[in-house]
Formats: sequence, structure tokens, C-alpha cells
Amino acid sequence: MSFPRELIRNFCIIAHIDHGKSTLADRLMQLTDTVAERELEAQMLDSMDIERERGITIKSAAVRMFYRHADGKTYMLNLIDTPGHVDFTYEVSRALAACEGAVLVVDATQGIEAQTLANVYLALDNDLEIIPVINKVDLASADADNAIHEIEDIIGLPAEDAPRISAKTGLNVDEVLARIVSDVPAPAGDPDAPLKALIFDSIYDNYKGALSYVRVVDGAVRPGDRIRFMHSGNEFDVTEVGVFNPRWQPVEELTAGEVGYISASIKSVAETKVGDTITLANDPASEPLHGYKQANPMVFCGIYPADGADYEALKEALDKLILNDASISYEPETSQALGYGFRCGFLGLLHMEIAEERLEREFDLDLVTTAPSVIYRVVMNDGEVRMIDNPSNLPSPMEISKMEEPMVTAHIMTPPEYVGAIMELCQDKRGIFENMAYLEETRVKLTYRMPLNEIIFDFFDGLKSRSRGYASFDYELGEYEESDLVKLDFLLNGDICDALSTIVHRDKAYGKGRAVAEKLKEVIPRQQFEIPIQAAIGGKIIARETVRALRKDVLAKCYGGDITRKKKLLEKQKEGKKRMRQVGTVAVPSDAFMSVLRIN
Amino acid sequence: MYFVALISEIRRYEQLMSERSFNTVFIGGGTPSVLDADKLAFIVSELIKRFSVANDAEITVEVNPESITPDKLLSMRCAGVNRISIGLQSADDAVLGSIGRAHDRETFLNAFELVSKCGFNNINVDVMHGLPGQTAASYIDTLELVSSLGARHISSYALILEEGTPLYDAVRCGDIELPDEDATADMEDMGFEFLASHGYRRYEVSNFAVPGYECKHNLNYWHNGEYLGLGLNSHSAMRIGGKWARWENASALDEYIADVSSSRLPVRNMRDIEPDEELFETVMLGLRMAEGVDRAEFEKRHGTDIVTRYAPIIVELELDGMIVADETHVRLTERGMDFQNEVLVKFLDQ
Repeated sequence: MSFPRELIRNFCIIAHIDHGKSTLADRLMQLTDTVAERELEAQMLDSMDIERERGITIKSAAVRMFYRHADGKTYMLNLIDTPGHVDFTYEVSRALAACEGAVLVVDATQGIEAQTLANVYLALDNDLEIIPVINKVDLASADADNAIHEIEDIIGLPAEDAPRISAKTGLNVDEVLARIVSDVPAPAGDPDAPLKALIFDSIYDNYKGALSYVRVVDGAVRPGDRIRFMHSGNEFDVTEVGVFNPRWQPVEELTAGEVGYISASIKSVAETKVGDTITLANDPASEPLHGYKQANPMVFCGIYPADGADYEALKEALDKLILNDASISYEPETSQALGYGFRCGFLGLLHMEIAEERLEREFDLDLVTTAPSVIYRVVMNDGEVRMIDNPSNLPSPMEISKMEEPMVTAHIMTPPEYVGAIMELCQDKRGIFENMAYLEETRVKLTYRMPLNEIIFDFFDGLKSRSRGYASFDYELGEYEESDLVKLDFLLNGDICDALSTIVHRDKAYGKGRAVAEKLKEVIPRQQFEIPIQAAIGGKIIARETVRALRKDVLAKCYGGDITRKKKLLEKQKEGKKRMRQVGTVAVPSDAFMSVLRIN
Repeated sequence: MYFVALISEIRRYEQLMSERSFNTVFIGGGTPSVLDADKLAFIVSELIKRFSVANDAEITVEVNPESITPDKLLSMRCAGVNRISIGLQSADDAVLGSIGRAHDRETFLNAFELVSKCGFNNINVDVMHGLPGQTAASYIDTLELVSSLGARHISSYALILEEGTPLYDAVRCGDIELPDEDATADMEDMGFEFLASHGYRRYEVSNFAVPGYECKHNLNYWHNGEYLGLGLNSHSAMRIGGKWARWENASALDEYIADVSSSRLPVRNMRDIEPDEELFETVMLGLRMAEGVDRAEFEKRHGTDIVTRYAPIIVELELDGMIVADETHVRLTERGMDFQNEVLVKFLDQ
């Protein structure tokens, strides 16, 4: 017997980082007795350590709650937790598409941020009913009236009766539940129509394989059904369907309007792509749900094991990682400096950092990563077009007719006092001013067209430091545009170090070359000979530094009491050497490749 | 209390060491010269009484310039001490001040004179280079003074900044500035050249002697020989039941005293050294000496010829001008000495 559809509410929570999304979710689960008090780990839905530590959601998650409303009826509330970062915009859009409503959490001490706005627009695009909620009203610096004012002014949503809550203390949180029932429409959809289920996320489990997290739009699905993924065409036999309680709990069927998971012995999440539509193989829907997109990696970098002997371990780790994250691409590459490794593609910089962190943490690997790069479009003299994601593969300038780089439209929201500093930053990052609008007295929205390669490095950090943390930003991808780009190489004692090569705009090559050369001088230890460090474009040297020769490397004292310690020191020195990469004649510490990423 | 415990420890070893003989005695580490004359002499005589110490044994006591007196020196001499090692570090009062030493140049001059007058002719002076505020001129001046006084042995150590020392902290927080690596290396090159031209042979990384006055006690360490350490936090190495073993004494005074007074040896961290490790130690220590590793001695002890055992590395290092292997010895060149750690890391790999 399926749950009456009119008593189901599917919703998500939209909030900026730190505005209290996960805390509110925890509180809702507690109020509905979905989890017992003693089971409640802070931020239940963020199950990865990295998510809890960084206070961000990377993977979607879902939970089913039962709520007894004042009208005496018990409602099923399905909360779909969404990722909260620009890198995962597509995943967010699919999670939103699985809901009829969204709770918009605004921090009463902060107001609306760019990221929130972007997600609100996504929610409006998906026709979601939005329930504004003002959080953190218990704090002394809270200004709930101003937050309401912002919601009404900036988004144009009536917010006068928005619940004023404290997710932390639980104040007025029951009001949010009541509003979800009264404001969010019950799911539409036809339980008797052919099956259409939207995949809003997929995760990998060691025992069950890849699970599809779905919202059933039409029809029903049961164990034993043969299902088809409408975009990929793959077919599988369903072994289990279930709901989120919040842990997986098998049920007999999932029907129209419900949210749950489908298990079908699928080997990898690459086969159950977010946005795809699941239907029945023997009674297929005529067409898939709208909005499917292939999520393409935007940012590429080389990932190498710090110890060359760990290449196989790295390969295995990547194989396992993509079981759970199909948006990462990787293929083997070799570097003269770094040996055997992989060129990996990511949705964005945060996605890249998270993947690196997971590889190091969950697979216990020491990695060396090269500077991130975007994909450049290179038009050769003969008209051939090449897409270049590794600076080392850039053809000689003589063969190139023109180069193009991907652009983005960046939206930055900031209090007006930081506008000047931020405009300077954008200009410095080759941004082209497009628009500035006062959303209200205390909030300005700047729009710039910028090269993607300028924002993948340290744009976000720069924005935060120039606005004392108040500015927020979001971007959407634009077209490729022609640009005066050059390959900047670094030579150590006369040999090019391929792992340090990078593609930059000609105007920035000099500054960047000098900064990296200086940084290299700091991080390359003195060796038995003098090491010239040169930055070069083509054959032209644009900056030079020198690491002076090491004069002595000997322990002055070694008597009876020093022998064991001395041996340990040598062991340590040997370990240090292992972490060095040989570039021609020069030994370069693995960290050097990464430390040059962080230059100002 | 400590003195009593030390004497008990010496006696505790009497039986255990009855089969062994000792060619050198070295009383050092800290400042034994702060003990009064009777106690110092008593320790020495106790060692000679309880252990089989050779008649011509080299018996050294380390002293600080400010803590020696004629009666101490004379009673040491009567007890059998025949070598004195004076911790000078520098004869430059400004430099001494910056490293917090209690003596000055004058005190050292008086001390040296006193040691000579008391009949010691085998005198070592410890000096250092790379000290805060030290210049090459100041360092050479110190060497000049020491050699003109007729010291037979000079140890000159480059300062090693060790974590956890007050100097390390002072340098880290910028209170004290050290000469940079290049300045220290320049000082060292000049100083070592000075010593060579004044009759001192560099027979080990940091040790110089008028031929015939090399320190036998320390040479034993560099030959990876056996030694017994007595007292707080001392180290020992010995072949026991066919196995090469190392251990340390307790480093906490209360533990040391408690062990000794309840008839236990204050031994900590007793461990067997595997034959491969022992072999590497022989290389590591032997290459500190100018004469290098004696091939015959090495083969006798380790059952393999050093050149055969490390053939590829020795060839590579010879080509680099770091090492020389002849019929009898494998030794480092001057350049090899300068980069000894890097040389040894290569040996460690094999």
C-alpha cells in the first residue's frame, strides 16, 4: 500500500555556506523523531569527514521524515540535501528538479550571498515554492528585519511572515515544518503511467554497488523490474528499492511522488549519471525528463605520486574514487620531472581540492599536483583545432594561428565599501566590466566577463581578503574567446621543468615568471652546485634567480653518544631525498610543484 | 647523591667487565671539573682499581676554564689522568658573551697556563666556528692563540643549531643572528688551512692534532669499537654473546639513582644491532677519519671487502671526486668530507 501522494512533500534547503543548512536539517530530523537524540551526530547528512570539516556539502543526500501536522494528518517529508558550491551547479539543479519546494535559509547576521541567489534562481527556474526562513535570530548581531528586507528587495519574494528561527537552539523550527506542509504542493505525477524516475545523485557502496538516488515522477518501480537508463541506454535488473531513514531502508516499491534509491548491481556511478531518467525496459516512457546534461570537467591538473613507487596505488585509488564521482576524468600521462602520473579533470577548483584531499586521506597517498589549467582552444595554421589541457602539449607558437580561452560571467555581491578593491582585483584578473547594480543600499552586484583561467587560481581568496570576507561570487560558463596567450616555462640549471610550465596571458607572463622564480629559489634547497632558475617565453628569458651552491653537508660532532642519532639523521635525509624529483641535474622537492601554485 | 650512585655503578660493573680491558678513559660530558679535587681523583682511581685499565692508557678529563684549580689538576694527575681537554669555544669575549659562557679570554689563558704548569703536555682545546657575532678574523685569532700556547690537539666544530636548546629558540625568534652558511663555510676553510700550516693534521672531520697526539679514545669510536659508558645518560656499545649491542643509561637523574641504589643497572634501550647496520656504522664512522676505513680490518670484522660490497657507489663517488679507494683504505677526499652526509646517504641506500 503506497503512501497517499497528497500527504507527500519533497523539499530542499538552500543556504550559503555557514548559514546553517546542515544544522537546520539535523533539527528537523530530531523534531520528527527520524533520528533518536543519541544517534544524532552533528550534521548527519554530511557523511564525509571533509564535508564536516569544511562545513560544505559535496554529495547530495536525502532523508525521509514523518510529521504529524496540526490538521491531525501525518505527512511524509522528503528532504533532499544539495551540494553548496558553484562547482556543483548542475548537481544542485537536478536535486532541485526532484523537489516541489525549497526552504531558503538566510543568516540574520549576514544577509543574502551570491551563491544563495544563484541557487534561488535555479529553484525558481524549476518552479519551486520557496519558503524563506531567517536563521540565527538568537545571535546578538542578528538583524532579522534587514534580512527580510533583502529577500523582498533582491529576490522579490514576500518574506514578511518568514519564520524567525534558531536552528542551533531549535527556536521556532516547528514553524518551518508546518510551512512545508502548508506551502509546498504535493507532488503531481501519475502512478499508473510508464516509469519516469529522475536521478539526482548516485553513490557507490561496497556491497550494493552504484545506487541511484531518485525522485519517481511517474509510475512505480519494484525489485525484479528491468530498468533502462534513457540517455545511456544501459539496462539493469532492480535488486532493491528503498528509502532514506536516514539510513537505507528497503521498501516494496517506490511510486510517483516518492524519493528513494534504486539498487541494481551497477558497477560504477559512471553508469548511473545524475540527470538521467530511469524507465522500465518493457514499458518505457516515450521521452526522458528534461534537463539532462553531461557534466564536463573544466579544470585539469597533473596528479603524481610523491613516491614514484606508488603509481599503481594511485591508479587504484583513482579507479575507486570515480566509482563514487563520475565527474572526474583521468588518463595516464608522463612528465620528465614527475614521472608517471595522471592528467585529471574536475568540475572546478574546489572539486579538484576535495578529490586530492580524498585521495590523500582515504587512500593514504602522498601526491604531487601540478598547477591547474583550463582547456585552451588552439587553432593551427592549417585550420586544425586542438583542445589543450596540459601546457606541455602546447604546439610551437610558429604552428599556431590563434589561441582561445574559456570565459565566464562572474557575479559578485559585496557591500559597497569594497567595490573599489574588488573592481581592481577583477581588472587585475583581466575581467571586463559588464554591469554594476545596487540591489539595495548595502549590497552591490558586480558583473564581469573573465577568463576562467584567472579565477581558478586564487581569485576567491583575493575576493575574500579584499572584502574582509563579505563578498561572495558565482559564475556561469561562457564562450571561448581569442586571447594573447603564451607558454611560460621554467628552467632549472638550463633544463626545462615540464611540470612547471603554464599558459598565461602575455601581459601577466613577466610578473608571474618573476614570482614563481622567486618562490622556487625559496623552496629548492642548496645543492653541490649553483642552480640558475630561469623563467622563459619561447627562448626568451624574462626572469632569473640563483640558488647558491651548498658548501658543506657534514655533521661536525660524532662521538659515542651520537652514533644512533646520527644514523637516524641520515635516514631522514634519505627519506627527504626520496621526496625529491630529479629535473635534469637538479633535485626538486615535491612540495615545490605545489608551493608555486600559491603565489601572490 | 649522584657521585655516590656513580661509584656504585662503577662497582656494579666490576664483575661484568672482568674479562675486558680498557685502553682509554674519558671523563667528560657536562663539566666534571666542577667536582671537587678529591671526588674527581676518587672516580679515576676507582675506575683504575675496578677495571683492567692498560698501564699506558690515555686518561682524559674535560674541564671548563673557569672551574679548574691547582689542587684539582694535581690530584687528577696523581690519580693517573694524562690528558686535559679544555672547552674554550672562542677567545673573543664578545662571542663568548653571546653564547653565555662563564669564562673570558683571560680566564682561559690562566687556565691553560695552569694545566701546563701542573705537568700536562697532552692538552686539547675545543673551539667552535659559526658562532653568533663571530667573524673569520675572530676565529683565526682564537686558533692563533691556541696554537701559540702549544696545544697538541684542537677540535673545531661548526655550530650545530639543535632544536630545544635556548640558542635555537633565540635564533628562531630573531634575538640572535648567526653568520650565514657561506660565512661559516668560509671561516671553516680559512681556519682549517691555518691549522694545517701550523703543524696540525686533520685526522677527523673536526679534529686536528700534532702527529702522535690524536685522541685514542675518540679514534676508538670512529673504528666502531667497544666502549662502556658510565653515569647519567651515557652510551655504550659492546659485543655481547657474539651480537653487537648498544644501550644508553637512564637520562633522568632520579631514575638513574633509583636503579643504581636498588642494585639494578640503569640501562635503557638495550638493542641488538643487525650485522648490516653494524657494517654501515663502520662505514659511517670510519669515513670520518682522514685515513678512512681500513679494508683489511673491515673484511675481518664484516666478512666482506668494503669495495666489493659497495662497488657501484664507490665507483660513482670516485668519479665525482668524493672518495678514494686504494689497496688498503677507502677514504673521503676533502670535498667528500665537506659533503659527507650526502656520501653516507648513498651508502645507506645499499
